[in-house]
Amino acid sequence: MYMVWCMNDAAGKLVIRFDRGTLVLEGMTRDAAAATLAGGYWTWDARAGVLRCDALHYDDAVRALHDAVPSPAGAAAPWPEVIWPRVQLPPLREDQAAALDAWMRTRRGVVVMPTGTGKTEVALRIMHALSVPTLVVAPVRDLMYQWHQRIADRLGYDAGIIGDNIFNKRPVSVTTYDSACIHMQEFGGEFALLVFDECHHLPGPVRADAARMSIAPWRLGLTATPERSDGRETVLDELIGPVVHRYTLAAARGRVLAEYDVVRIPVYLAPGEQAQYNECSFLIRHHMAERRKAAPGFTAIDLHKESGASPESRKVIQALRIKQSIEDRAREKLRVLEDLFRLHHGTRTLVFTGTNVMAREVSVRFLVPCLLHHCRKKERKDILDGLRQGVYPAIVANQVLDEGVDIPEAKVAVVLGGLASVKQAKQRLGRILRKTGAERAILYEVVCAETREAMRSRQRRRSDAYEGTRHIRL
Amino acid sequence: MLTKELAIFDFNGLRIVPDRLVRKRHARYLEYAAGMCDAYGTGIGMTRRELHLAVHRIFDAEADCPPARIDAFCKLLDEERVARYQTDRAGKAAALRQKVCRLAAPCHPLVDERTVLFEHAEKETKEEIARQLGRASWEEVERELFADVFEFNRLLSFEGYDSPEALLARYNVAQVQAALFNATRLTVHAGTDFRRIVTHAKLARLLHTITLAQRGGRRNVYTIVLDGPASVLRETRRYGASMAKFLPALVSCTDWRMRAELMIGRIRRPFFLEISSADGLHSPMPPQEEFDTSVEEHFARKWGGRRRKGWLMRREGGILEHGQTVMVPDFVFHHKDGRMAWLEIVGFWTPEYLQAKVEKLKLFNEEPIIVAVAEGVARGFHYASDNVMFYKKALRLDAVQDALERVARKSVAGHATGS
Repeated sequence: MYMVWCMNDAAGKLVIRFDRGTLVLEGMTRDAAAATLAGGYWTWDARAGVLRCDALHYDDAVRALHDAVPSPAGAAAPWPEVIWPRVQLPPLREDQAAALDAWMRTRRGVVVMPTGTGKTEVALRIMHALSVPTLVVAPVRDLMYQWHQRIADRLGYDAGIIGDNIFNKRPVSVTTYDSACIHMQEFGGEFALLVFDECHHLPGPVRADAARMSIAPWRLGLTATPERSDGRETVLDELIGPVVHRYTLAAARGRVLAEYDVVRIPVYLAPGEQAQYNECSFLIRHHMAERRKAAPGFTAIDLHKESGASPESRKVIQALRIKQSIEDRAREKLRVLEDLFRLHHGTRTLVFTGTNVMAREVSVRFLVPCLLHHCRKKERKDILDGLRQGVYPAIVANQVLDEGVDIPEAKVAVVLGGLASVKQAKQRLGRILRKTGAERAILYEVVCAETREAMRSRQRRRSDAYEGTRHIRL
Repeated sequence: MLTKELAIFDFNGLRIVPDRLVRKRHARYLEYAAGMCDAYGTGIGMTRRELHLAVHRIFDAEADCPPARIDAFCKLLDEERVARYQTDRAGKAAALRQKVCRLAAPCHPLVDERTVLFEHAEKETKEEIARQLGRASWEEVERELFADVFEFNRLLSFEGYDSPEALLARYNVAQVQAALFNATRLTVHAGTDFRRIVTHAKLARLLHTITLAQRGGRRNVYTIVLDGPASVLRETRRYGASMAKFLPALVSCTDWRMRAELMIGRIRRPFFLEISSADGLHSPMPPQEEFDTSVEEHFARKWGGRRRKGWLMRREGGILEHGQTVMVPDFVFHHKDGRMAWLEIVGFWTPEYLQAKVEKLKLFNEEPIIVAVAEGVARGFHYASDNVMFYKKALRLDAVQDALERVARKSVAGHATGS
């Protein structure tokens, strides 16, 4: 536990200490505190006989104490200055500069920009402008490494890494949400600026501790999609700050992002696959009908509840999984993919799959690299550099590329199944829509005809990212 | 430990009942446990996925078995202390993938049947690549291509469990642990093993508040409330993992009962879980966790486990009682010649806290307690005694040794000294 703020008033010494993600106020009795501190965030902790609050309130708390205590002597220790060894920041575009200005006015808040419009550049500018100890929090380790690389490229700084079984803390460090919410209670007193990349990941009862347990007065959130299906995005106001700048995908299209087409290709199951699929469907329908006789309104949820006591329902659940797996891995998809590879021979192509298993299957079939969660820093770099330099004609990935991973611009993307959330559609499009010249990008969606996958595809197209796009059938 | 997703528990009103395998109802599970250990024992060289499939197959005909229970068994069989899997730290699989993809890149796309335009057929190209890599066949290459992926890791050795019963016992404790991931607060009523329980709670870095609940002739009962710093600000599951980690230590003790308050999902109702030493849960004593970086831990690490100038330090300190007041000093020291002393470290707190501390110390002023006070609070610490020493950032070993020589006394028979 260490001191983060200290001052002497007439009565003695007031000290704020950082204690495992919380702040502890010493030197003020409970009664004195009640009289001077109106702020609602301090709580009396009888276990230790101190006032305690979330570290998040540090800035407010210090200001309130300065106001409340007459003629204080002393102040918070200034943040150490970070020296950037080699700064190579490119000039910002107009919209990026607007985002920067908007944030700098309050130094706390969320910047909403679509993937591919240079959020990272804005963040690096802010880091450079403040030059204080900074922690960048990314959703997955791929992005963490990418931040590490970008900070090295643009600011010449070898940032510390906290995550992926590495614990190397430096004044400027990169980490993941999972690591941050575990470790913030240890080092939450050390960073002045927090950058939350893809900050819609932050709300959540324990994850939010990554923001709550830090004293950082300055906070930047970056996201393309602040809205969450559980509506918790309002929590971001408290944890980071309000949205200070919003740049929508519709405004970006055609200007920063390329025009694009969406082409949907239905595939049919092979006879063998279809037979197994039907068999599973029959088993499921039969079981559900039987159960509904005894219990009207029987649902899939009830099925899962029963599975503990009935090998029969376990078989039905397995049948559901087999169906999903057949959809995901339909052989016909690989054949269509072959056709698309031929059609766009010589054009950089990205392939997205619904599962890791399918990604590996594509990789083994075509011997194109697959970028998955298990890929370490070195392999990841080889794959992305290789794609950029044209060594690899195509790569395949599962969700890794969903968010923010900086991949070389591509004009062709193929989606082989996937989930139906709005967020995923936006982010996947963001991947291929890098503006280079006037060329239009194409997104192929390969889905099994007349299956649940086709339903998901319809839902996906409802997202505004797809609005006004052309639909062609091959 | 299990993961949150593998937790199985029932609701009985507000009571949470973790999944538990018992001799009577689950007699067949002894057989399954033996079968699972056997599958792993004879499965050296198999992939994790193959082993898990084998485990799942054992339960095919069992009516009473939620799928999460099988997955939980897989997780326990995979635990580091019983199973060792091959890892690929050097990145051999990744290097192989890179080689293969680079060799294949000029031939892209590999087609099913060659045409004039696309003349690289999948099968021939793959065999050719295998040849270039000096391998006998493509199958051999493919087998190693994703050896670094978690589910394709191969089992190197399996130490196993002492008996099928041991695996089931481990399962039962693991399910209570998994339920405790949701815990916001633990209350332990402890009798004879009170000291060990407090020590392990400290090691798990949980905050504890102790009161003497009941005085008995030979056995006092203490109430220990365990939670974390932020618990006073909100109901939080943040310390649930520490509480789960603390459980095996508690289970290995005797004469206790425990009540945990739980938060399930976003339901705002006071769920709880209760267990006691009479429930027959078993766990081996866990090794002491690594120390953290507080003044106490730093000092403990520096002093170490050996005698310094005849003094041996232990963390399982004694209990001092005076009426309802209980004090558990941080450390106890014993000298070869029979002298002993306690050490209590006073950190940075408020005047009120310090005042309470002083009052407490006054009650025990007959005891050989060294009080180490942080210099920053010395002003607010009005306790005149030769036993007080000051420190700046860390306690110095020689300063403590000097204090020990000054303060220590022959230990009195019948005194709770923790030895």
